[in-house]
Formats: sequence, C-alpha cells, structure tokens
Amino acid sequence: MTEDHAQDYSHPLAGTTMTGSDVIVQVLADEGVDVIFGYSGGAILPTYDAVFRYNKEHNDAIPLIVPANEQGAGFMAAGYARASGKVGVCMVTSGPGATNTVTPVRDCMADSTPIVVICGQVPTAAIGSDGFQEAPVSNIMASAAKHVLLVTDPSKLEATVRTAFEIARTGRPGPVVVDVPKDVQNWEGTFHGAGKLPVPGYRQRMANIGKNKLSDEKCQHFFRMLAEAERPLIYAGGGVINGNASNELRDLAHAFQIPVVTTLMGIGAYDTTEPLSLHMLGMHGTAFANYAVDDCDFLIAVGARFDDRVAGVPDKFAPHARHIAHLDIDASEINKVKAVQWSHVGLLEDALKKLLSHGRKQEFSKDYSGWHQHIAELKQTYAMNYDRDSALIQPYAVIEEINKHTKGAAIVSTGVGQHQMWAAQYFDFKDPRQWLTSGSMGTMGFGLPAAIGAQFAAPKKMVINIDGDASIRMNLGELETVTTYGLPVKTVVLNNYGDGMVKQWQKLFFQGRLSASDKSLHKKDFIKAAEADGFEFAARLDNKEDLPRIVKEFVDFPGPAFLEVIIDPDAGVYPMVGPGMTYAEMITGDFIPNRYENGNGKDQGPSSSEMF
Amino acid sequence: MRHIISILMANEAGALVRVAGLFSSRGYNIESLCVAPTEDPTVSRLTMVTTGSDEIISQINKQLAKVVDVVDLADMTRGDHIERELLFIKLALDDVIRDELSACVQRYGAEVLDERADSYTLQLTGTGLEVEDFIREVSALANILEVVRSGAAAIANGPQVLKLSN
Repeated sequence: MTEDHAQDYSHPLAGTTMTGSDVIVQVLADEGVDVIFGYSGGAILPTYDAVFRYNKEHNDAIPLIVPANEQGAGFMAAGYARASGKVGVCMVTSGPGATNTVTPVRDCMADSTPIVVICGQVPTAAIGSDGFQEAPVSNIMASAAKHVLLVTDPSKLEATVRTAFEIARTGRPGPVVVDVPKDVQNWEGTFHGAGKLPVPGYRQRMANIGKNKLSDEKCQHFFRMLAEAERPLIYAGGGVINGNASNELRDLAHAFQIPVVTTLMGIGAYDTTEPLSLHMLGMHGTAFANYAVDDCDFLIAVGARFDDRVAGVPDKFAPHARHIAHLDIDASEINKVKAVQWSHVGLLEDALKKLLSHGRKQEFSKDYSGWHQHIAELKQTYAMNYDRDSALIQPYAVIEEINKHTKGAAIVSTGVGQHQMWAAQYFDFKDPRQWLTSGSMGTMGFGLPAAIGAQFAAPKKMVINIDGDASIRMNLGELETVTTYGLPVKTVVLNNYGDGMVKQWQKLFFQGRLSASDKSLHKKDFIKAAEADGFEFAARLDNKEDLPRIVKEFVDFPGPAFLEVIIDPDAGVYPMVGPGMTYAEMITGDFIPNRYENGNGKDQGPSSSEMF
Repeated sequence: MRHIISILMANEAGALVRVAGLFSSRGYNIESLCVAPTEDPTVSRLTMVTTGSDEIISQINKQLAKVVDVVDLADMTRGDHIERELLFIKLALDDVIRDELSACVQRYGAEVLDERADSYTLQLTGTGLEVEDFIREVSALANILEVVRSGAAAIANGPQVLKLSN
C-alpha cells in the first residue's frame, strides 16, 4: 500500500480536489491518451461529462469517437493500439455497454493488444441488486481480459486507472477493464498526480523479465547451433511487433543471412519484399514458406507460439530441425506446444540485440548460399498463383492491383475468412503495425472498426479495410462512423455472396452441403448502404476490364471510399494445410505446384467432427 | 500426478474468481481449494490440489504466474512439505458397530465432537490420503450422514516461505 497515496507535487494539479470522473480523465490525459472510443449511457454519464469539460478547456485534446455499437468502440481502440503501439482506450456504460465489449476484450487478449476499457457500473450500493443495466462485469471480464479492476474504494480510483495502463502495456500486452461504479465517479477527493496500486507479484515478475538478459554462455550455445546448421530459419510472430523488435530482427537476419517466415500476427515484423522473406507460414501460408519450414534444420522462433494454425501436428512441425530455439516474453509459451532445445524469456528487443552483438564480436560467419539458392528456387517454383485467365474477377487480382498503388506502405485491416487470408498472402508489408487482423480469436467484423481506430492513430497514412460481404455485415453500422468523422478510410468488400471460408470447408469436408453459408439470395445492396451512410465514393466493380481503372479511382479518392467487388464465388484460399494435417499434406490448388505426391488433398485427414 | 499448489493472492474484489476461473477456462482439475486471509489483510493464501501430467502441472504454474492478482506461488509437492486437511464426519447411530468404530477412531487419532442418541460427529486432521482412508473405513462401519472436508492446506518445511515482496 506504500505507493498508494504517493504525492507528486511536480504534477500541476497535485493536491487539488476533483470528482472521480475528473480524476479518470486527468489520468487518461497524463497517460498520453489522445482519443477515446466509446458510447455513453446512464452509469458512465459523469465521466462523459468530465471528458466534455476537459475538451472545452483543452482545445479538444481527447476527442470522443462514438461508434454504432460498443463492440465497434472496442475494436477501434484495438485498431488504434495495433497501429500505434500505444494503449487504446474504450469507455462504455454498465450492463449491455460493457458486455458488448467482451468480444473485443477477448480478441485483444488473444492477440496481445493493449487496451483499457473503462466501464460505468451501477452505484456501489446497488451492486448485486439486479439493478437496471447491471451486469457482473468483473466476473464476466475475469475470464476474457488480462486483468479487471473493480473500484470499491474511491480513494484508490486514481492509482487504479494509472495501474490499468501499466498492466495493459507491460509484459505480454493485453486488455485491462476498469469497472467504476457511478458513485465513485461522483465522489470528490484529492488528486495526487502520482501513485499506483501495489500489484507486488506482477510488478516484480515484470521487473524480472526486464532484467533477464541473455548470458554470453547462452549466446555461445545459440551460435553453436547456428554453426552446426546448414538451413537456419527464423519463425517470427506477433511478439516481435508487440515487443517493438522488428529492427533488431531485421538486423539479425541480415547480419547472418537467415531467411524469415512470419505468422499471420507477425506480418510486417520483417519486410515481406526482402529476398530473405518467405512471407507467411501455416494453414494458409505460402507453399514456399511451409516447404522451407519442412526443410530447415534450425528453427529460431521469435515471439511466436506454435499455435494450431501453424503447427497443426506439433510432432511433425519442422520435422528436420535438429534444434529449435524459442525467444518469448511469456514463459508459459516455452515448451507449451513444442519442446525446444534452447529458450530465453525476456524482452525480445534486448535479446535480439544481444545475439547480434555477440555474433558480431565472435565474427560469426557461415556460408548459407546453398540454402539461399534452395529458398530462391522454392519461391520461384511454388510462387503464389491463381487463375489469371478467368473471366470472373479473382480476389487475388484485386489485392494485387491495390498493392500496386500502396506498395507495402498502407495500413490494412481485415475481417475474418477468405478475404483475410488473400490480403495476408497478396499484400506487401514493409513495416510493422500495418497489418491489423483478428488472428487468434478470428472475429468477423473486426476490419471496419479497427480501420477507424488505426486512422486516428495514423491520420496521414492510407488505411484500407479489406472485408468480406459476411464479415462487414457484423459491424456494418460503423460505415456511418467513417463518414461522421470524415475519415479517409477505404473499404473494399470482396463479395462472394456468402461465408466463403465456411463454404470452402463445407466443400472440402462436408461433401459440399452449404449449411447456412450461402447468401446469394440475400437482398443486400452494399452500395445503397454505403450511400445511405454518406459515402460519396461508393462503387461496384463487376467487370474484370474495369479493375485497374476503378481501383485507381478508389485509392486516389481523398475521402471515405467504399468499393464492392463481385468476385468469383468459387475462388478458394490456397495453399491450405487442413486442420490436424502436416505441411507435407498441404493442398496447393490448381495453380500452385505441389512437391509431394500425397499433396493436394489426396488424404483428407481427420474426421470432420475433430476439426476446428 | 497429484500436486499441491500454494498461492499468495491479493485480497482484491474478484481475485478468487480470476484464479479459480483460470482452472475452468483452461480445463485444469481442481480437486480441492482452501483459501483464507494471512497475517497481512491485503493478501490471502490459497491452497489448491490438482492432478495432471508434468506438462500440465508446469503449464498450471506458469499460467498462474501470469494472473495479476497472484503475488507468489509454489508447487509444494516439489519440495519437503507438510499437508493437513480437516474433516468433519457425521454418522447415523442405528446400526453402527460401536467397538470397531471406536478402534478406528483411536487408530486414526480422530476426535469425537458431538455424541447424540441418533448421531455421532467426528473430526480428523490428516493428509488428504489419510482423510480418504478414514472415510472409507468408517463407511464400512456406520451409515455416513454428512462429510465436510476443508481441502488440503500445506506449508513448506524449513525456512522457505511464499513471499509478499521480493
């Protein structure tokens, strides 16, 4: 409790009396918050009023962005956090306001995204009375969030809000929910200007992670394995991006000429246009990335966690790797799925820097030109490809056409499904924090609100939401949010009249019975919907010849723009490593060669009841 | 294998839900759970008995260490430790084999807390295994009306303790 009431007289407002809601807003301002995404309601009214008053006095320093639904606010905060690396903030009322953010909170937990959700709660005296708009948010969020803080003592409100930011951004980042009863918002007390909750164990563990430096002995061991290897491969995940370690990863890969595959979450951790890049691995990774994983003899996992979309069969993942090294900030990921011979738990930025400096000092050098030659051949032979002669518009061609304009510099968000994988496969990404996708949770409807949040984080960058006709429906209300705030967000709907990925699985594993996934008879007119929400650019592209012209008009349009593309409804996502299958069993489709005889789905793997 | 995990936990609103919730959300077993405040009112001590393979136990320990409310934890089973559980057991006296029951009570060092014309309440302190053995033996001698178990509590032998701060 020692830090609880620490007074920081350097804060100009220290010692002044304010309401709880003013305390919340002041701490947000002190934490560098420059935008709040949220929806008002009874139990959060005092704090919304405090934001209003703060902005009146401070030249609108913390604009409040209002979504159509609180889920949108949560994903906007997530998009902001992913694009900026800062903590995103979402502020909602009690009951339904809070429960509508459960999905984004869980999504942020699953993809390690730092957000703080501030929820109003019924007054302390009414908690447990089944009051109007009451929900047990602390209980509900306990199993979804990194941490939940229910403010029971108003004198700890200031320290609680500050601690929420600390917990969200430290270690493996994640969502923190602060549940603030209305009476706590209305309480009046002294603002201290400093002080956090004790959280003794957590803070100590974080300090230990920071202090856990790679020893020279461990570096030597690492370079012994690298020296023994003929075919080393870096497998980089989202942890590299969250750990702001992309530069260090690139330097390490360059210094010792180690090729790089990234996970879906790791896209952008390493410039995909570089010769050493093999782009994405996994269920829908490039064939050359997956074959390289099959061929490597030393796998270096950095901020990646061998999840089931990457290592569907852990025992047969990287089957020729004599050694696997694993660097992560989260000790629980080491040996969770795949046993490794060398591991380090610590800050990736520090660890990669140390490996680089150690290797340079030892003048480590090994000729991997045979491996590079092999990889160049893999990239050429098993390049991404599709039916370029089809009369129908191919979704891959749409992404390629947009990519010609954006050249790897745009921020791209997505929904979940086929369009998500096509975007992951066919876009270039030169830098981290440009690729915003719901990886682990796979939340349809993520793309549009995430793009809105990202545009606030990066007002000058082009932000493109690549969506599917089914995914965008989930948060279609946020189209209006784009125009309300005049955001130049670009939205592409690749319309294949249904849940494309579900249909793909139904064709592969359920004899083509399209249970509840076909939307070809639906009446939705997306262009009218966009126009109704004030989009001045709302175009439908259904003729292949128009593709370059319309895409250019769309990308060049200075304001909010909406483009619906009627794509080949039978276009599939290839390659595909079926659930519970090995990379050797990867299906590559009709346009990407397959190097295994038993490839292309000759063995369909486990029964449909076991797959997910 | 059976493991006893001791946890020091912040005495915060909802902390128990978050610690226990970890077990259900990740599919780990809880055999017993025993929790009460310590000499420091801001901290509670929780003793959890669980079963699992070495890999699962290792994951449980690592996942618990990620819970913000957890101040410190130790897998007691990995070291020299003392384990005790409190048992209350109420028996019906209708067809009880009295002599054999008294012998059993004596052998286990159990205590008679309450003796009525129609019921008999005993107390036993012992390891989880001793408590289970006792219940099994007694069930052959009398009709059990009620069993109340505290769940195991544990403490390490020697100077080793769970730390409030490092």
